[in-house]
Amino acid sequence: MKRWFILAALVIIIAVLSSSLSAQWPLHPAPGVPKGPDGKPDLKAPAPRTADGKPDLSGIWIRFDDPEPNGPPPGRPPLVRGGDAGVGFKDGLPFQPWAAELQKKRAAENGLNDPDGLCLPQGPLQYHIDPQPFKIIQTPRQILYISESNYGLRTIYTDGRSLPPQGDVQPYWNGYSIGKWDGDTLVVESNNFHGVDPSNVRGVGLPDSFLGIGWLDHRGSPYTEAMKLTERFRRVNFGLLDIELTVDDPKAYTKPFTVRVAQRIVADGSEMIEFICHENQTFLKLTGRAPH
Amino acid sequence: MKIVVFAIILSAMTTPLAAQWVDYPTPGIPRTADGKPNLSAPVPRTADGKPDLSGIWQRISLKYERNIAADLKPGEIQPWAQTLVRQRAEDLQKDHMSVQCLPWGPSYSNSARRAKIVQTPGLLLMLDEDLTYRQIFLDGRTLETEPNPSWMGYSVGRWEGDTLVVDSFGFNDRTWLDRDGHPHSEALRMTERYRRLDFAHMQIEITLNDPKVYGRPWTVSLSAELNPDTELLESVCNESHHSLEHWVGKASDEKKFEVMVAPEILAKYAGTYEELDYWGNRPHPAIIEITVSDGALFAELKGREKVPLVAQSETNFSGFYGLGISFVADAQGVVTHLLERRISRDYRFRRTTR
Repeated sequence: MKRWFILAALVIIIAVLSSSLSAQWPLHPAPGVPKGPDGKPDLKAPAPRTADGKPDLSGIWIRFDDPEPNGPPPGRPPLVRGGDAGVGFKDGLPFQPWAAELQKKRAAENGLNDPDGLCLPQGPLQYHIDPQPFKIIQTPRQILYISESNYGLRTIYTDGRSLPPQGDVQPYWNGYSIGKWDGDTLVVESNNFHGVDPSNVRGVGLPDSFLGIGWLDHRGSPYTEAMKLTERFRRVNFGLLDIELTVDDPKAYTKPFTVRVAQRIVADGSEMIEFICHENQTFLKLTGRAPH
Repeated sequence: MKIVVFAIILSAMTTPLAAQWVDYPTPGIPRTADGKPNLSAPVPRTADGKPDLSGIWQRISLKYERNIAADLKPGEIQPWAQTLVRQRAEDLQKDHMSVQCLPWGPSYSNSARRAKIVQTPGLLLMLDEDLTYRQIFLDGRTLETEPNPSWMGYSVGRWEGDTLVVDSFGFNDRTWLDRDGHPHSEALRMTERYRRLDFAHMQIEITLNDPKVYGRPWTVSLSAELNPDTELLESVCNESHHSLEHWVGKASDEKKFEVMVAPEILAKYAGTYEELDYWGNRPHPAIIEITVSDGALFAELKGREKVPLVAQSETNFSGFYGLGISFVADAQGVVTHLLERRISRDYRFRRTTR
C-alpha cells in the first residue's frame, strides 16, 4: 500500500516536471545581467540595487541543493535538505509531544495529505524548498513572492505597517507578511497562518483538505495558527539568495529554531511555466479524493 | 437543480465580503480633507509619465459576464458552439472552471472579479483572489507566433497614449469565455484596452477574435472601480469540494415541478422591487422588475437579461439567480416584499411600485 502511494506520487511528480521542462517559453534575458569575460552571466557579481539603494531581490530563483558541500560555515543555521526541516539538528526539531506524534503519522503515510499533492497552498517553507522556481518582484511598497507551484502568491508589505496582532485577521494559507530592511538583509515577519488545531489534530468535522494544513516541510512537521515566522532574505551576490527561517510556534515546538535554504538565480531569460495542479488530478483520483 | 448551482457560486462569492482583511489605509493615495480616498483625483503616473494602473480593482461586468456573445447574431456563432452552450446549460454549468478549481483563462478579464494590478517598468501583474497570477510583459517583446497553449495565455502590453493595449495569444481551449459556456479555440486572440479615467475608475474594452468559432471579431465593454484601503483576499477553491456532492440533476428538472398559478395571482406580484439588504458586487440598491406577459411571470435584475420564472408554488418561483424568488404579502394580502433566496440567506427587496 505504502509503496503504491510512493509510486503514484513519483509518477505524478515526474509527469509534472517533464511537461514543464519540455514546454519552455522562448528565452527573454533581462537587461542588466552582469556578464563575465566569457559572456556568461557573472553569478559572483555584486547584488543589484534599487533606486533607493536597497539590494534588489527581484528575479527568478530556484532551489540550490548543495551550495556548501563542506557543511555550513561556523555559526550559521543548518540547511534544510531532502524536504526535512530538522535534518541538520542532532536531535531533530523540538516538537511538542502531539506535534511529534502527528509528524510521525504524516511521514508514515508517505505524504498522503501533503498540501502539494492535494492541490492546496503549501506551507511557507515548502515553497522555498520546492523543486519549482519562484519569482520575486520588488517594488517600493510591496514585494511579491510568486511560486510556480500551486497558489504560491505572497505579498510582503514594506510600507512601514506593522503586523496585525495574532487573531485580529482571519488566518490565511499564506499568512500576513511585512518586511523591513536590516542593513542589506530583508527581514520578513509573518503571522496569522492557517495551522493545525492541537485540540483537533485529526480534523474531525472538517473537510479532508484540512489535513493538508500546517505542513512546514515534506516530512509533515506541523505548525499551528500561533506560528510567527521570521525570514531573513540576503542576496549574497548576483547569483545567490540566502534565506534564514526562524519558526516561533510555542504550541507546536518547545523553543524557536532557525533553518536555512539557498536559492540560485535563473538568469538565462527563461520564465516560470504555468503550473495548474487541478489540470491533472491523477494523484487525487488514485487516492480516492478527486472531487468526482 | 439549477437553483443549487447558482446558490453555491454566490455563497462562495459572499465569503470574502464577510471576512474582511485587516483595515489598513493604503499609503500614498490622494485623500480629501476628511481623510477619505479622493476617488476622482487625477490618474497617478509612473516615473516615466505613463498612467500607473496599480491597485485593487473590482471589475463590473453586468451584461457580458454571463453571455459574452450577447451582441452577436446566432448566425455569427458556429452551430456546434451553440449546441455546446445549450448542453452546458442543461448540465447546470458544472464544468465551469470555478467549479473544477481551474483558472478562468481569458474570462478573468471579462468577469466581475477583483484583480490586484502591480505595474512595474517591464512587467504588469494581474493577481486574482484564487491565487492565480497573470503576467503581461511590457518590455517591448513581441507576441510569440506559436506559443505553447496555456490556461492564461501569453500577453504583451504597449501604450497607445494613455491606454494600455494588451495582446494575448496561446490560450488552451479548455476554458469558457463566460458563465453560459461559450467556447473558444486555441486560435483565440484577445486584445484588451485599459484606460484609467481618474483615480478610482477604469474603462475596459475587450476584443475577441476566434474565427474557428465566431464569424467576426467583436468587442465588449466593462468598467472597474478601485478598492482603496483594503487588500486582495484569498479564496482557495480546493479547500472544500463538498459543493459538488449537491450538484446533481439537470436544468430541465425544475420544469417537472412546475405548478400552474392563476393569472390574477401573478398579476399581484408585478412591480418594481428595491434591494434592502445589500449583497454582492453589483451596484446598490439593486432593482428587480417583475412583469407578467402571456400568463407567465418574468424577473429582470436591472442591467441583466429578463428571465422567465418557474412557479414551484403560489409564492415560490425558481429560474432566477440563486435559489429563486419568494413573494411576501401583508395581513391584507397586499404584496409588500420579495425575497431573493440564496444559500447564504434570504435578501429582502421592498416593493416600490405596483
